[in-house]
This record gives sequence, C-alpha cells and structure tokens, in this order.
Amino acid sequence: MKKTVMAGFAAALLTSAAGSASAEQLTVFGPWLGPDQSYVEAVLEAFAEKSGHDVRYVGSDSFEQQIVVDLEAGSAPNVAAFPQPGLASDMAKRGFLAPLGEDVADWLRENYAAGESWVNLGTYVGPDGDSALYGFPFKIDVKSLVWFVPENFEDAGYEVPETMEELKALTEQIVADGGTPWCIGLGSGAATGWPATDWVEEMMLRTASPEDYDRWVTNEMKFTDPVVINAIEEFGWFARNDDFVAGGAGAVASTDFRDSPKGLFTSPPQCYMHRQASFIPAFFPEGTMMGDDADFFYFPAYEGKDLGKPVLGAGTTWVITNESDAAHELIAFLQTTEAHEIWMGLKGFLTPYKAVNPEAFSDPTLRKMNDILLQATTFRFDGSDLMPGGVGAGSFWTGMVDYAGGKSAEEVADAIQKSWESLK
Amino acid sequence: MHPALQGLITIIIGVGGCVGYFYFSNFVLDRFLFPAKGPQAGRNINRANMVRPWLFLFPAIFALGLYLAYPVIETLRLSLTDRNLGGAFVGLENYRQMVGEPKFWEAMRNNMLWLIVVPAASTAFGLMAAQLTDRIKWGSIAKSLIFMPMAISFVGASVIFKLVYDTRPAGQEQIGVLNAVWLAFDGGVWSFVVLRLLPAVLLAAFAVLMLYVIYLALVPLLRRNTAHSGGSRLTALVRVIVAAGAAWLGFLASRSILPVLTVALPYGEPQTWLTIPFWNNFFLMVVLVWIQTGFAMVILSAALRGIPEETIEAAVIDGANPFDIFFRIKVPQIMGTIVVVWTTITLVVLKVFDIVFAMTNGQWETQVLANYMYDKLFRANDWGVGSASAIVIMLLVLPILVWNVYNARKEMR
Repeated sequence: MKKTVMAGFAAALLTSAAGSASAEQLTVFGPWLGPDQSYVEAVLEAFAEKSGHDVRYVGSDSFEQQIVVDLEAGSAPNVAAFPQPGLASDMAKRGFLAPLGEDVADWLRENYAAGESWVNLGTYVGPDGDSALYGFPFKIDVKSLVWFVPENFEDAGYEVPETMEELKALTEQIVADGGTPWCIGLGSGAATGWPATDWVEEMMLRTASPEDYDRWVTNEMKFTDPVVINAIEEFGWFARNDDFVAGGAGAVASTDFRDSPKGLFTSPPQCYMHRQASFIPAFFPEGTMMGDDADFFYFPAYEGKDLGKPVLGAGTTWVITNESDAAHELIAFLQTTEAHEIWMGLKGFLTPYKAVNPEAFSDPTLRKMNDILLQATTFRFDGSDLMPGGVGAGSFWTGMVDYAGGKSAEEVADAIQKSWESLK
Repeated sequence: MHPALQGLITIIIGVGGCVGYFYFSNFVLDRFLFPAKGPQAGRNINRANMVRPWLFLFPAIFALGLYLAYPVIETLRLSLTDRNLGGAFVGLENYRQMVGEPKFWEAMRNNMLWLIVVPAASTAFGLMAAQLTDRIKWGSIAKSLIFMPMAISFVGASVIFKLVYDTRPAGQEQIGVLNAVWLAFDGGVWSFVVLRLLPAVLLAAFAVLMLYVIYLALVPLLRRNTAHSGGSRLTALVRVIVAAGAAWLGFLASRSILPVLTVALPYGEPQTWLTIPFWNNFFLMVVLVWIQTGFAMVILSAALRGIPEETIEAAVIDGANPFDIFFRIKVPQIMGTIVVVWTTITLVVLKVFDIVFAMTNGQWETQVLANYMYDKLFRANDWGVGSASAIVIMLLVLPILVWNVYNARKEMR
C-alpha cells in the first residue's frame, strides 16, 4: 500500500516537472492595483494563451520599496514594470537586471516615435560599467497638455495657441479682457509641490536642448545653472503673477491640484486654461463630456527656439529581473501590436508605437493624446522621477512650494542643489 | 482562495502547530529519548526534566533570535558598511555622513519635541480624565469615548486629522474643521481672547509649571546639603539636569509671551496648517495624544481606584481641600504607575512613524527619526545611513526600556 502511494506521488512529481519544461511559470510585478490591474492582466492573459506559460501578475501600491527588498532578498519576480526609470537604473548598476539585447533597442528605434529618446530612457549602466538596453517602455502617460473649455474660448473669441509666444500673448489678452487665464494648484498632501516640478521640466524642454535636460536630471548641470534658473523663472512668469492665476499667486501653493481644474467649469470661469497630465479628467466635475465640455491642446513650444516638439511624460519601463526564456518571450510579445491594442481598447494607456491601429482606442480623447505622443520629436521622462528620491520626491517639491511662496529662483535652486550634494 | 479562508487555515495550522509541537516533543522526550522505565528510569526522569524547560523555551528563543537578535546584528553590520563599494567596511563613515545632514538634526529636534510634549500631555490628560470620570454618573460613557481612539490605527487617525486640517482655496467652502473655525475669527474681541490671550495664558502657565518643576527637582538637594550622604551623586546630577532643562523651557515660554500677544495673524484666510513650520509638529502630535490619552486614562484610573480609602478619609478629616487630596495624597501614591505610563508612551513616541508618514511625510520640517530612516532605506536606497539611523533610534530607546523593566520588576517585588 505504502509503495503504491509513493509511486503515485513520484509519478505526479515527474509529470508536473515535465509539464513545466514546456510551460514555465512567469511572475510579473507591477504598480497597478484595482481596475488597472485587470487591464494589465488582460494583456498578460493574451500572452499566456499565445505562449502557453503560466503568467501571474502581482501588484503593489508600494512598488518602489517592495521591488528593492525582493531583489536584495533574491526573491525577484521574472519581469517588473518600474514607474521610475531612475530606480531601475540603480538596480541595473547593482546587477539585478538582465539586458534585453541590441535587437530590442533597434526595434524601439524603428517602431517608436522619437525612438532614440526611448532607447536612451531604457539604457542603463550595468554592473560591469558598460551601458546596455535594460528597460522596455510600455504604457506611457503624456504630461504636456493644456486643458480648456471650448465653449469659454468660443464665447471670448480665443484661438487655441500653436506656439509658446501665442500662448503668452493669449495669457496677456485674457487679462486685458478682464479674465483670469490660469488655474494652477500645487497642493497634494505630503507630495505638495510636484505639479510645479512638471512645469519646470516642461520649461526646461522648451528653453534648453534635450541634452541639457539629460545633464540636468543627472546633476551634471547644477540646479544653480542659469539655464535651470531660467526655466524656473519661466514657470514663475505664469504662476507668480497675481493677474495670471486664479486666486492670485498666493493661492498657487495652497490650492490642491485635484481642486484647481474645477475653476475651468465655474460660471463665469475662474480661469481659462489648466496645464496637467492626461489623468486629470478624473477630477473634472461629474458628467463632463470630453471633447464637448472640456478639451485639451498640446502645451506648445517656442517658435523662436529651434527645439522641435518636445513632449514630457511618464510611464512604466518593463525590465527582466529574473532571467528566463519566458521573460524574454514576454518582452517580445510587448513588441507586437496586439499587446498595445488590447490595453488601448481598455483605459489609461498611450503608446508611441507607430504601427498600432489608432481605431483600437476605446476613447477618442485618448486617441488625440496619442497623436501628440506620435508627433513628438523628442520625448523626455518626468525629470523629478529620474532624480534621486531625496531630491525628486523631496527638496525639489518643497523648493517649488517656497518659490511659489515668493522666494527667489536662485535661493530655491541653491537649496535644492545643496540637498542633492548632501546625498552623495 | 478567499483571503478569509486563507486566514482561517493559517490560524488552524498555527495553533495546531504550536499544540502539536509541545505535545509531540514531550512525547518523543518521554517515550524515546529518556523513557521512564527500564533499569535507568530514575536517571532518565531527571534528565528529561532538565531538558523539558529548554524544549518549551525553544520556540520563543528561536523566534526572538530570528526576528530580533539577527536583525539587530545585521543592522549594525550594514550601518558600518557601504553598499556602493560592494559592502566594504567603512567604519563610522555612515554615521559621520548622517550627522552632517541638516535633515537628521531636524529629525532629532522634532523627536525631542515629541518626547517632551506627547508623553506629558497624554499622561496629564489621562490622569485628568481618570480623576474626573470617576466622580460622575456618565463617567463610564465618557471613558469609553476617550478610550475609543485606541482602537483606531495610527494611519486611520492620521487620515481623520488630515480632514480636520484640510484646506480649500479662499472662497470655496472649507471642509476642514480647523479652517472653518479659523475663518469664523475675523478680528474682534473673541479672536483676541482665543488667538492671543489664551495662548499667552497657556505659555505663562507653562512657565510657572516649569518653575514648579525646578523647585521639585532641587528641593531634596538643598535639604540634603545639610546631611551629606554618599552614593546619590547620580540622582543629584539628574536632578540638576532636569532643573536646567526646565529652566530653559520656562525661559523660552516666558520669552514668547509678548510676541504671541502682538503677532499679526492672517485673519480670514484659510491656512494650510500642516505647512506652517515648527507649529505643524504640534498639529501632528495632537493625533498621538488623542490616541494615547485613552491608554493613560485606563491604567491611571485603575491605579486611582487602588488607593486605600483610609488615607483619603484621613486627609478629609484633617481638612484637606480637593486639590490637596489630588496632588498630595493621590498622585504621590500612584507615582509608580504614572512613571510606567509615561515611559511606555515615551517608547511609542520614539518609534513614531505612521503619523508623520501619512500626514506630511516629513516635509515642511516635520521629519522624525523613524521616518528619516524609512526615507534613507527605501527612497534614497542608502542602506548604510538608514541602518545607522535605526541604530540611533535603538540606542535612544534602550535606556528607557531598561529603566522601564527595572521599574516594573521593582513594582512586582
């Protein structure tokens, strides 16, 4: 009796081992929970069906902390989707990530709009000191958007500005007509100040070259550099003028970023324009019809400066944290139009992949945003997310709150630079 | 599997495992290792009884070693190494770097503030509540209301208080209670009384309290001067230090009475309470005081009831007024319990993390040590400095812990 049980057990072990030889188990770790989790699972489901692997997704709301612990402890998932490329680059340096290979880099170059920007974004220095492509950017958010109410623009006879010069002229025009052009809110609880970092990053891209931007986020160019000070002051042109901002400059720092777009929809409007990333419609009043009640345009670049059409954004970078064949197969699957189009049909997904069918977007607003992404000549990732946490999620935020409160740009930049140096 | 089912299974396995361990380990010991029969039964029984305590202690020792001793040693090791250099030994370099950071000193300063204010306020409020609710009919209802915050997690309490401090732009309706009240003060008599006179009186009261503390600390010294007794140098030193600290705090308080009376306050404008440097620390402390007062009240109330009636009756017959009875009869008798409550809350305060993390994340000069450590470990990914700050917290906790255990054992004797 005992023998037959043992034999049966051994047979079961053998068959399960044989089964896993062809179909591996693949674990994917990402920052998505709630409805977003079902979206990413839909994509992974399609991959599982195609490849026959057993794919499991785990989400965490403290991804950044958890992944470091997992990697250090040697219990890494196979694939991880990093929302912060800066952290991924740290992990690559410590040898926790597997390079994706030169052909994936070539694929990005050819198939993603502004391809070189994406290759740069995913290229990190490895443990041996050589740089290679480690990250595959997948699921992008666009930040360079200005939201407005078309009806208000029509009533006042304003045109959507095509260049930064026009935008500034429009701002002054609205004031001359007795209105208030902008709603800006930096409040975000413990993270207060981050919306202003986005503004400064946008201004860096519109007043300096992408190379300067890259040097800035790595601190090769100091915060106290005149180029950076100039970008901060460009933001100040909009935010520190009592006539330009709803509630006056004093209200900028204390207004919550979730409340500030509501000024667009009051009657008479508290403001005409609001610059914010693609997620902000979630905080519009209930029943707002996108396209009719609210719309957006690309936050324009200076015509006088030959910097093309830069787009600021964020998103996730997928990396292999525990190498296996299935992990490489998943990265290969992300290079198919299918993987992109499944998530496009759901929500909250943009892609710079040129070959996808735009009709696959469930929502015309997303399609229009994606156009901005596809027409970009340069794409740069949210700089504060690339900086060390102590700066990008610390002194840069508080510095911007101080700046909005009236401190000079030099003083603020000096404080941020000092905090950066103390990290080293 | 449903999480509830998982939990149930975990409980069954856990409890079953514990019972199974003790049962089977005893069984093995008595039946196979040292059976109480045969030629050497007597010797075997003695040996089994020598092994048995260790068998029962083993799970606890093992778990303590695995979850406490090993992490402490590992933290100490990490704090002396630099991971960027491949884990090389760098001596006290991490500590040097940490001490050079202004954020660290800000965290130290704030922790000291928390240590002074929270245990004192919680114990004082708890004692007050315990004394007052003992005398009234609906005392038990009041007690349960005060105790209830104990059931709320720190993060939950932080979320509640975040709503209290919430700010909306001027012109919109304020949903934060504090701002709604603030906006009601738009100059006039009451805003003078509440916003200037009341804080000034509080500060003056605090200064007087500090004078009393100095008096309490120094009186035994002055008396002892006549009869010199050796061996109390340490207590004398502690008393002088306490007196000096109280003098400094009292000086600070009395110095700021005038500025408080004359300060220009931005009436009628909604305030972002949590971003006002220095004062925002106190807005955060309120949360912990709110939670811990219930704890202090319950323990002190039990202690108050344990006071023998005879001493109080004797005091009443001798003509003592209620204040005398409370401060001279009751409080000295429960001093031991007060100290235990005080130190227990002090330990909680030293580890305070959740409240700061959930409310300000250490921004606007509200950083505390535990949050600083989290920041270093998980945001800056600097395990050296993170571990160093963990060791600092441990060193700060240690003396209080030792003293607490010492006191508790003295009580038991």
